[in-house]
Amino acid sequence: MFTCRDSIDLLQRFLDGEMPEEERHRLKEHLDACPPCVDFLRTYRATPGLCRKAMVDQMPRELSKQLTAFLRQRLRK
Amino acid sequence: MADEARAEDERSLTARAQAGDISAFEELVARHKDRVYGVALRIVRSEADAAEITQEAFLSAYQHLLELRGDAAFGTWVHRIAANLSVSRLRHLKVAGETETPLEEPEFTDHGLLAHYPQRDWSKGAEERALDNELRGAIRQAVDRLPSGYREVFLLKDVEGLSYEEIAEMTGDSVPAIKSRLHRARVALRAAIDRFYNES
Repeated sequence: MFTCRDSIDLLQRFLDGEMPEEERHRLKEHLDACPPCVDFLRTYRATPGLCRKAMVDQMPRELSKQLTAFLRQRLRK
Repeated sequence: MADEARAEDERSLTARAQAGDISAFEELVARHKDRVYGVALRIVRSEADAAEITQEAFLSAYQHLLELRGDAAFGTWVHRIAANLSVSRLRHLKVAGETETPLEEPEFTDHGLLAHYPQRDWSKGAEERALDNELRGAIRQAVDRLPSGYREVFLLKDVEGLSYEEIAEMTGDSVPAIKSRLHRARVALRAAIDRFYNES
């Protein structure tokens, strides 16, 4: 029987669909009996999406002006 | 504008830029500068370096514009150039010396069971939910705290959407090493978000 540690170590391979059937079966067996690991899996899976949203940046106006001036100067040479 | 119309519009702008229309290239820059700057900023964590990388990326894109063929998207291509430049810059910065905080890992009992159970499943609706500023700040701080090798892999894979193979080519690291770092970065970020939801 897998432990929580085993299961968490394998989550990425599980989500990438790279797990052999036997291992996948043993992981599912652990998840069926371990609600905390199910919550861990759900929140682990949701993490990249939340981070993607948080990583949206806008170039500051001053830097944007500098970029335009830089490219105008170099492109029109 | 629908995705397909937007892609077609971008192909048309790219073709005009390739034919020497500078205003078409400037329109492409205007559309992509925020994301290009964003990926550079998150990787190198310096506004000045990120601004320089953005300039270099668009200049390099312009100089090699004719190498962009067929249906290849200008946006994807220029983001890859910026990511590549950022990774190189980060390597240089690391040589100059950087102190890094250790990664946060889950704690287990002697029997391998989770020592602290998640108290709240915050995953429901996470994709659709708008982020408030506090959560956004907590996530950005957690990403910034990741050791650089982990931060870079997380940003390239989970934010920029590169493949493991593309990241391996860019960083010179093996795919298994990249997968291992990505997993540990996700675990650490999950812990930071979990703490935000359960302590605020």
